[in-house]
Amino acid sequence: MTTPKRVPVGERTFCVLLLIFSLVVLYQAFMISGFSSISSPGAFPLGISAVLLIASLRVLYELRGKPTDGDGWLTSFKRFKHTHFPRHIVVFTLLAVAYLVAIQWVSFYVSTFLFLMAAVVYLRRGKVLSALFASSALVLAIYLLFTLAFSVYLP
Amino acid sequence: MLKKLITSVAFSLSALTLALPAYAEYPERSIQAVIPWGAGGATDNVMRSLSPYVEKELGTKLILNNRPGGTAVIGSSYVMQQRPNGYTLLLGAENPQLYPVLGLAKFDYSDFYPVNIIGQNVVVIAANGDSPFNSMADLLAAAKEKPDTLRMGATGAGGLPSTVHAMVNAVGELKVREVTFGGDGPGITALMGKHIDFMPLSLAAAQELVRSGKLKALAVLATEEVPELPGVEPITKALPDIAEYLPWGPFWGAFVHKDTPDDIKKKLVDAYAKAVANEEFQGFLKNYGAQSMNLHGAEAEEFLKRWQSVTAWSMYKAKAIEISPDTVGIPQP
Amino acid sequence: MTDTLSYLLMAWMDPNLLMLTALGTFAGIYIGAIPGLSVTMAVSILVSFTFSWDVNEALALIVGIFIGGVYGGSRSAILINIPGSPSSVATSFDGYPLAKRGEAGQAIGLSTVMSVIGGLCGTLVLACAAPVLGDLALQFAPRDYFLIAAIGLMLVGSLAAGSLAKGIVAVCLGAIVGMVGMDPVTAQGRFTMGQMELMGGIHYVVVMIGLFGVAEALYQLHNLDTAVVKQNVSKVIPPLAMVLRFLPLSLRTSAIGVLVGALPGVGGDIAALMAYDHAKRSVKNPSRPFGEGAYEGLVAPETANSAAVGSAYVPMLTLGMPGDAVTAVIIGALVVHGLNPGPMLMVENPHIFWFTVGNLALANIFLLIFGLMGIKLFAKVVELPKAVLIPLILVLCTVGSYSLNSSMTEVYWMFGFGVLGYFLKAFGFQMGPIILGVILGPLMDTSYRQAMASVGDNPQELLMELISSPVSLVLSAALLLIVLGNTPLYGWLKRKTARASSSPS
Repeated sequence: MTTPKRVPVGERTFCVLLLIFSLVVLYQAFMISGFSSISSPGAFPLGISAVLLIASLRVLYELRGKPTDGDGWLTSFKRFKHTHFPRHIVVFTLLAVAYLVAIQWVSFYVSTFLFLMAAVVYLRRGKVLSALFASSALVLAIYLLFTLAFSVYLP
Repeated sequence: MLKKLITSVAFSLSALTLALPAYAEYPERSIQAVIPWGAGGATDNVMRSLSPYVEKELGTKLILNNRPGGTAVIGSSYVMQQRPNGYTLLLGAENPQLYPVLGLAKFDYSDFYPVNIIGQNVVVIAANGDSPFNSMADLLAAAKEKPDTLRMGATGAGGLPSTVHAMVNAVGELKVREVTFGGDGPGITALMGKHIDFMPLSLAAAQELVRSGKLKALAVLATEEVPELPGVEPITKALPDIAEYLPWGPFWGAFVHKDTPDDIKKKLVDAYAKAVANEEFQGFLKNYGAQSMNLHGAEAEEFLKRWQSVTAWSMYKAKAIEISPDTVGIPQP
Repeated sequence: MTDTLSYLLMAWMDPNLLMLTALGTFAGIYIGAIPGLSVTMAVSILVSFTFSWDVNEALALIVGIFIGGVYGGSRSAILINIPGSPSSVATSFDGYPLAKRGEAGQAIGLSTVMSVIGGLCGTLVLACAAPVLGDLALQFAPRDYFLIAAIGLMLVGSLAAGSLAKGIVAVCLGAIVGMVGMDPVTAQGRFTMGQMELMGGIHYVVVMIGLFGVAEALYQLHNLDTAVVKQNVSKVIPPLAMVLRFLPLSLRTSAIGVLVGALPGVGGDIAALMAYDHAKRSVKNPSRPFGEGAYEGLVAPETANSAAVGSAYVPMLTLGMPGDAVTAVIIGALVVHGLNPGPMLMVENPHIFWFTVGNLALANIFLLIFGLMGIKLFAKVVELPKAVLIPLILVLCTVGSYSLNSSMTEVYWMFGFGVLGYFLKAFGFQMGPIILGVILGPLMDTSYRQAMASVGDNPQELLMELISSPVSLVLSAALLLIVLGNTPLYGWLKRKTARASSSPS
């Protein structure tokens, strides 16, 4: 009755990574205090990691037999790249990373202003004037609100 | 296009000037003060009451931040990691002095600069108001009869309850279950709800509740009765040998990073000295059951050293700790 | 009697106090709405700021900010799926879908009215039953806190649309994130892998902003060119019929809010989550399926978190113990003004108690007024083109995360969680359970260990305590029922009874 939905590309890999992660977590939890006592710092983490492991196994189990796109490795990878990393997302992410780094180097207000300008202009493909207006308005608002009113001093 | 470019550059430049640090005097912005204990506890109350006076002296805002955890290790480490520019203060209690011997951390207050040792407090052994115990002797007897059944509230390794517990065990026997809370606040709540049987507390934290009868003070950690708690026996009545460790009490102080520039240190020291000396604050301390000390500079450092050596060596003698104090550079008192 | 009445009405009569309460409420709404700005921080600043004022004036301002702030978080939760404060996490579950349908205006209007109802309920309980509630709150032992946290975690069953296993994975991930850092008892590092920086743990607001805000923003990048949903702002104020229809639910969830809020150390965020859970379980025919814009899903958390405000005052005023982080700061404010919070406060200074009650009621009225004003303007925010909205959200999240500790580390963490959240979302893992784990995991851990230590690590004694204490018994039974309800056993039982009743006997 309900057509089984195709498993999104990359999900299987992600869930396998999750499983590996839960094993690492379990190990880390064990390292806290081993099986020393029922009220030790490691008791609860051990319990939670164990539940995580079981749940990840279950997730993988549920994925079995579900149809995927059935492509080979390279095609799947390409499709994943296309779905999640199309050009505009990559550019935006790079801009965001640049912005975060820039805050430390250049002052916050300058980098915010530049980032907003760049991102809005890029995403809207033009319309510089309205971007200018929006960016200045926001930076001003942040300045008023945070620095003056709440004494949160931005770098 | 050129016009747009110029306008955006002009705006950016003006934004830049707004953000340029003015080479003005310290303090030119608000100061972050870290309280390494939970809200509602004694340290928190003392610091929150003191801060307005300090703010007036310094001329800037003090933003108080609670960072509890690990017997103040979390909050203290955080302050140590910040830049030594005088904009992060540590408003703590006595615990860091015990870190080297407890193995909790590799630093203690000698790695900080003491701006002010504000005051110290008296410890009281508190129980619920309806508790069957009426004196320290009752408590000791009950613990002896059924070891490891009574529940004592604690605040973590190195916290006040554990230290007092160790002292008692050095001269007597008090085998109990330690239930750890995030501060005296939650511990007191549990005590009132009868989920634990007793808890060593600073008088400041317990005073109001003892006064109203919700809590009962079984003994004070002193050689004589204290005026704030008439009728409460000194602990030496039930445990005469404990007198060699007394007088002893938790203290509160304001600290800053050791590498802070000297002129900033001086400003802070002056501000705190005046703030603590303020009549209103003195009245508050008295009301709170605390004893004002207002030490700074060499006096403060001496006080810290003495407190550390007395406490560490007494705990070592009580076999409460395994690390011998002289191996971490603590001389005998 | 006349004394009490005069204290009660003090805030209403004095123009100064009236104005301060209004100002506080108004400011609080906007403080709460901005993610990263917390009510606790604002109140802390105010305590020092108002040091030289009269104590009543200081309290009036603080009360306003408290009430406004708890409500304000719902604004951003509804409009951009970023809870402005932790107590609004549950509001985003159905609030944001409503905005996506173009009903942001109605959603904000409904949440305003519901918050006021909840707030007034909380105030009423404070006025009538403070001592009783205070004593009841004291009865909760560590094992009861553990049970409450466990019940809260069961919400995962309702939140994990689709795969329960994925939901459980999410909750566990959240719990582990919550436990990163120094162990509260032994001070050893957990999950820190030797890194000193991790010893302080990861701030849960950062996780929240990252998972809800940044992840959502990144996700929306896929939909840059989709048309903006036009918001219908014609009927913003919910009709009386609607309010009455939800009255039974709102009263029940207010009760949950009151009880949870009165417990020292547990506040509006947990109350809202539990109320949402209750609504999901008890409302058989929601206006829409939960998670897609059900009004009930908005009513429940908003009444609960506002009711929790009034009841947070209960332990503070009756015992001098803070009910949550904000009341802890308020205790400081009282101390600074020379009052000694504690059991004697109500005896020696009864005016503070009655004044607070009257003040809370007044603040709620202002909440209604200010909350309903300007909704149209706010709803229009969602209509901004995505290309502008998304960078804006990123900047706002950055500022919010930075302001937590004035450090960029939080911002980097936020971004990291944003990227992680994006992929988790893409592969069918929900954000809600993760936050659930982050908030409730550490609570469970701490109370579990306290409970175990109290019985000397003896599980049998713990079981005995669970059965012998009435509070624990009720909570354990509730937990058991909920667990059973989640398992296939329940579905099997239901089908059996359905078959039995439909077949002629």
